[in-house]
Amino acid sequence: MKKTLLEKVILTVLTILVVLFFMIPIYWLITTSFKFGREAFAIPPKWFVFDFTLKNYYEALTQVKTTRFILNSVIITTGATLLSLVLGVPAGYAIARSRSRLLNISSYFFLLLLMVPPVAMLIPFYLIMRDVQLLGTYAAVIILDTVFDASFVVWMMRSYFSDVPREMEEAALVDGASHLGAFLKVALPLSVPGIVASALYVIIYSWNDFLFALMLTSPKTKTIPLGILASFSAVEIGWGRMAAMSVFAIIPAVIISLFLNRYFVQGLTLGATKG
Amino acid sequence: MLANLAGIPSLNEIRGFLLMSRRSNLNKSITLSIRRFFIEDGAYLVMLAPLLIFVIVVAIYPLFFSFRISLFEYRLTDPNQTQTFVGFQNYVRAFSDQVVKSSLITTLIYVAGTVSIELLLGLGLALLLGAETQIARVIRSFLLMPMALPPLVVGLVWKALYNADFGVIPYYLKLAGFNVGRGPLAELNLAMPAVILVDVWQWTPLLMVIFLAGLKSLPTEPYEAAIVDGASRWQSFFYITLPLLKPTFLIALLLRTMQSFKVFDTIYATTGGGPGSQTTVLNFHIYTVGMTFFQMGYAAALANILLVVVAILSILYIMVLERQQL
Repeated sequence: MKKTLLEKVILTVLTILVVLFFMIPIYWLITTSFKFGREAFAIPPKWFVFDFTLKNYYEALTQVKTTRFILNSVIITTGATLLSLVLGVPAGYAIARSRSRLLNISSYFFLLLLMVPPVAMLIPFYLIMRDVQLLGTYAAVIILDTVFDASFVVWMMRSYFSDVPREMEEAALVDGASHLGAFLKVALPLSVPGIVASALYVIIYSWNDFLFALMLTSPKTKTIPLGILASFSAVEIGWGRMAAMSVFAIIPAVIISLFLNRYFVQGLTLGATKG
Repeated sequence: MLANLAGIPSLNEIRGFLLMSRRSNLNKSITLSIRRFFIEDGAYLVMLAPLLIFVIVVAIYPLFFSFRISLFEYRLTDPNQTQTFVGFQNYVRAFSDQVVKSSLITTLIYVAGTVSIELLLGLGLALLLGAETQIARVIRSFLLMPMALPPLVVGLVWKALYNADFGVIPYYLKLAGFNVGRGPLAELNLAMPAVILVDVWQWTPLLMVIFLAGLKSLPTEPYEAAIVDGASRWQSFFYITLPLLKPTFLIALLLRTMQSFKVFDTIYATTGGGPGSQTTVLNFHIYTVGMTFFQMGYAAALANILLVVVAILSILYIMVLERQQL
């Protein structure tokens, strides 16, 4: 079963091709953000040697309201993440621990909710938000994001808590703690990795959201993806600036996939494959 | 008692048990279940209630609202905001609408194309990069990046790469002797494959992750037996790995199918549904009807049809997950 030299060479070449395919677009984006307009689209393409400039970043921060867009994205992401954790983690715990069949089944209700096509939720939600005068506020986007975020958190945390042995909580109950106390003082500290994993997933989901923000925000509450799109179509040759703004938009993705990947992968697989 | 057999009974329960042991059996079980309901399930219900109320108000109510709207003719831009009741006419119209039909076919092509390619490549990547070496681990973490990126940014980057005049991809295609015309995104027969490639780029790594988890959970015994029997690597792959991976395959297939049905950002950023309506998937069409033409009733009816399709897929997915556990 030892690999032959030929096989080794083929596998190495394949690996290099895979890495190139998946990394070139990201490399292109980052280098373009440091290029002058004329070099960004030079023919033939300048992959490695080009005049380095921070002009695009300077323009993105001074001529377009990039800081405002980033701030809006941070506010919406933080709001949706906190709200969905506060609502979702106790609910996931209750479903994992309860012996009531009804409560156990309710986890599938949240899974179904997670699958709802965003556009099906968006049309009625848009009209309702208009009627309650919340259109264009942070709250509108946070609330709709939280529907999907919290459903994910419940599903994820239910799987996670099922793997945490219940003996310690039961010992606490014997010592006179309430069920809520056992959850807060015993189960919660034990489940920090699971909470981190679901939080990362939720952060990515809310940060990357485009459709909800497109329909529900106003010029004042626009998030970074919308800002990128707006600045891009406003100016004829805005590629460099678009790239610079996009680099800001991909910071969470880069940090999470390179430095917190253990938790991120856990969120992806536990959420997807464990019933 | 019954409820807590696995753990240690609390003092209260022991006291209750002593009290109850004097009573009849029937009485005992009733008191126990009432007690369980109010104390234990009560506490759990309190933990679940906030989310349940939140979801009913901001998700279930809108879905009912959406059904109501779909029974009306309602134009958002109408100054009087008149809503005329038309019964199921919006649904009847949806089923006879040629545009809906063609966008449904487009959706099916998109879903079939993306999901099948991603499943195969994802499995390939998992096999290629599954080793527990330092370098494989580093490459894997880099490959996580595409799926964490905002789909809109991904779409814009590829739009630039595809650009006919100064894009990188047409430049190399031209060098290789291909005629790219107005660029992959603007040519009728190239637009769909070009958009599928963007989706493949972003989501194949997710399938790699799922297959890696699946491969890791496989038992080692069959492989040892295969080595003893002198099977080749290909044989053990085809006769052991693939059959054992079937459940993972099914889950990955359903999960990605559901996600693929919901594609929006990628289409919005790259082609905007064009050229013509080559890449107008149903989801994008619904958005256009609702938010560009402001026909809220009709858009809601279309969205509800999509909802039913995705719900059927979701229930299938849940049933597969349930079977997995047995």
